[in-house]
Amino acid sequence: MQGLETFYEVMRRQGITRRSFLKYCSLTAAALGLGPEFVPQIAHAMETKPRTPVLWLHGLECTCCSESFIRSAHPLAKDVVLSMISLDYDDTLMASAGHQAEAILHEVMETYKGNYILAVEGNPPLNEDGMFCIVGGKPFLDQLRFVAKDAKAIISWGSCASHGCVQAARPNPTRATPVHEVITDKPIIKVPGCPPIAEVMTGVITYMLTFDRIPELDRQGRPKMFYSQRIHDKCYRRPHFDAGQFVEAFDDEGARKGYCLYKVGCKGPTTYNACSTVRWNDGTSFPIQAGHGCIGCSEDGFWDRGSWYARLTDLHGVGFGIEANADKVGLTAAGVVGGAVAVHAAISALKRAQHKEDNGSNGSSRTGDAA
Amino acid sequence: MSANSAPEGTTRLVVGPFNRVEGDLEVRLEAAQGRVEAAFVSSPLFRGFERLLEGRDPRDALVIAPRICGICSVSQSHAAALALAGVQGLAPTENGRVATNLLVATENVADHLSHFHVFFMPDFARALYADRPWFPRAEARFKAARGTAVRAALETRTTLLHILGLLAGRWPHTLAIQPGGVTRGADSRDKMRLAATLRAVRGALEERLFGAKLERVAELDSVAALERWRATGPEGDFRLFLEIAADLALDSLGRAYDRYLSYGAYPGTEAPLYARGIFTGEGLGDVDTSAIAEDHTNARMEGRTRPHHPFDGSTFPDAEDDTGYSWCKAPRLGGLPFETGAVARQIVDGHPLIRDMVRRAGGSVQARVVARLVETARTLIAMEGWVHALRPGERWCAQGSMPGHGRAAGLTEAARGALGHWLRVENGRIAGYQIIAPTTWNFSPRDAAGVPGPLELALVGAPIRPGESTPVAVQHIVRSFDPCMVCTVH
Repeated sequence: MQGLETFYEVMRRQGITRRSFLKYCSLTAAALGLGPEFVPQIAHAMETKPRTPVLWLHGLECTCCSESFIRSAHPLAKDVVLSMISLDYDDTLMASAGHQAEAILHEVMETYKGNYILAVEGNPPLNEDGMFCIVGGKPFLDQLRFVAKDAKAIISWGSCASHGCVQAARPNPTRATPVHEVITDKPIIKVPGCPPIAEVMTGVITYMLTFDRIPELDRQGRPKMFYSQRIHDKCYRRPHFDAGQFVEAFDDEGARKGYCLYKVGCKGPTTYNACSTVRWNDGTSFPIQAGHGCIGCSEDGFWDRGSWYARLTDLHGVGFGIEANADKVGLTAAGVVGGAVAVHAAISALKRAQHKEDNGSNGSSRTGDAA
Repeated sequence: MSANSAPEGTTRLVVGPFNRVEGDLEVRLEAAQGRVEAAFVSSPLFRGFERLLEGRDPRDALVIAPRICGICSVSQSHAAALALAGVQGLAPTENGRVATNLLVATENVADHLSHFHVFFMPDFARALYADRPWFPRAEARFKAARGTAVRAALETRTTLLHILGLLAGRWPHTLAIQPGGVTRGADSRDKMRLAATLRAVRGALEERLFGAKLERVAELDSVAALERWRATGPEGDFRLFLEIAADLALDSLGRAYDRYLSYGAYPGTEAPLYARGIFTGEGLGDVDTSAIAEDHTNARMEGRTRPHHPFDGSTFPDAEDDTGYSWCKAPRLGGLPFETGAVARQIVDGHPLIRDMVRRAGGSVQARVVARLVETARTLIAMEGWVHALRPGERWCAQGSMPGHGRAAGLTEAARGALGHWLRVENGRIAGYQIIAPTTWNFSPRDAAGVPGPLELALVGAPIRPGESTPVAVQHIVRSFDPCMVCTVH
């Protein structure tokens, strides 16, 4: 364990040149939507501030967040972030094993008491006293509570840590529980998505390490800089939605013309994430661009809202036509630009309608909810 | 981790948590005279995917099942799509088949690359090997997260995964694979980008990993040829591994049953790229899926009275039970444990080098690693052909309709081996969904007859150095299987 080195010292030790370092500072400023005038500020902070260690714990999860993270678009950004956080404790990647790893964990907690960031991938299952996720002979829940105790802040990576995700889907056999329901006395930054976009993950962590503060969060605890736009609003297929041109089946005429995927279950209109702008795998694409609807994986409860493939045209049967429905959503959104709360109201009404339909009951009061 | 004395004068070691494996793993060892005498493998993470799939719209398996694993999500997605296609009686379009092969192969090759560079090789850069002649090179190339080969491999992998980005929108948790094909067709421009991506990956592997054309690796045909490569072959990480393997006798470490299972990988118009079958002491045989059953005797699961065929399986955790030591059920084929993975695929497919290796010394740590590298070369060559075979403008997804009742198995090959989803649909909903993942086979606990799983057997005889609490030989053996613990139990 190194003493209280600065970020810059750590980077130099990792073989990153001064030139690369400055380039990294400009990239960071750009990624965070800051102007060039912030570059010297970032550089100064990195040169003078002691490195903040990040402890990365894995609970009940599938490792998709780590997988996403290690493939951030800009190799430089990834290298720097990796060297910066050093993954002091990440049991998927680190070199040491067993005892040695536990020792590192304890040492970081001791040396940086109250000053390290805890990143959690996955969540603790509460049933059977936490038996369903045992780490080092103890329930993950115990490890989480133990490490959280002296953390400065907690990052909940992905939908598991933020919301529960599919493992918490009915009947939630293990009672998988999001982090904020277990740790209630620490600031928690939720970075939902299954998985979150790599650049969003590095962006959040860079912001926190550089500015030594938590990014501005929305009411659900998500960083506004990445979660304030609807997939739908920035979707390149949006004109087809507005024109009422829809794909009805994968590989039909509409699919070949790149029409809107709303009728094959796209949840873009109800999902807040950066997929349609930042995109995936080095900005290559995102699910909608590959012809599949958004499944809304960054939204709380996305796993229990009825089938992802349910055709929303089914709503015809209860007197709520697709075009009318689509228009209503569109208009509501347009009328309250920036007003996420109001849009959410309309959207949750839509979700409820869908859900009721799935359960075979008649949801006749939903239009009232949306008003 | 702890060490204490077990009754018979043997030492008991509990090794875990393991790092550099996917998910959580714990191994209990009983040792005497510096050797492992018995091993008990425990998968300590359970989520209950099979349970939460029940009662849902069958199509939702395409979204839920892949989330079992962020590493093997495309394989899980493929197995789910095959099971759904089976129930619908649907075959994918030609473009859909080829694109799906490309997607599954991309993930499998990416996994092989991560395994070699990130998970397996860093063990040889540890201080305890500092006196070996190859150590300085191993350290420079493979020190965890710092070695030059590790960084380069992660970049190559990122490049490779552009294929999944381009054809399927994103990775992990790709959504594009459907029962009738894929949700996106490739146009001519995509084909050029795919070909360029594969060229870049080929270039990187030929330069650093193999130091030679992929074809030369794929054409290795005997242990003698492999020996020549080690002695006078091109410089590269492959040759470095062969040197290390010879020095540490990895060809005599970690032998299991030498009994292999492959469901056949990458469907073709007639036969799959890698054949389907079993390979045992009696030679090749067919896979009789009706003879597959899971035994719960030592799993913390209800239903111990008899083995269950996966169409008839259940997943009710029973945490109170004392005899159970893992959440993992014990899958058996014809009552016997089988090993699965690249070594199984290449043996069943008749690759001469892998056959020769296993015939001479059994399925060792070395055989598993070499099989993975040979397969990496072979698969990349096949992928170049598939890109060529994509037909812009032609159908990429066939449409089907879901009957109210039906059942089917979706069998595919993930990087780590044979993956099966057994789906039962009743009244238009999922009535049963059972999954047997590759590491479920490899890291299975003992069955009712007390027969250990493949890893449990492979660990027997592993040397323990004086003072070792996490024996390095045990780590080599465990990692040679490239375990994926989150898939194992799901």
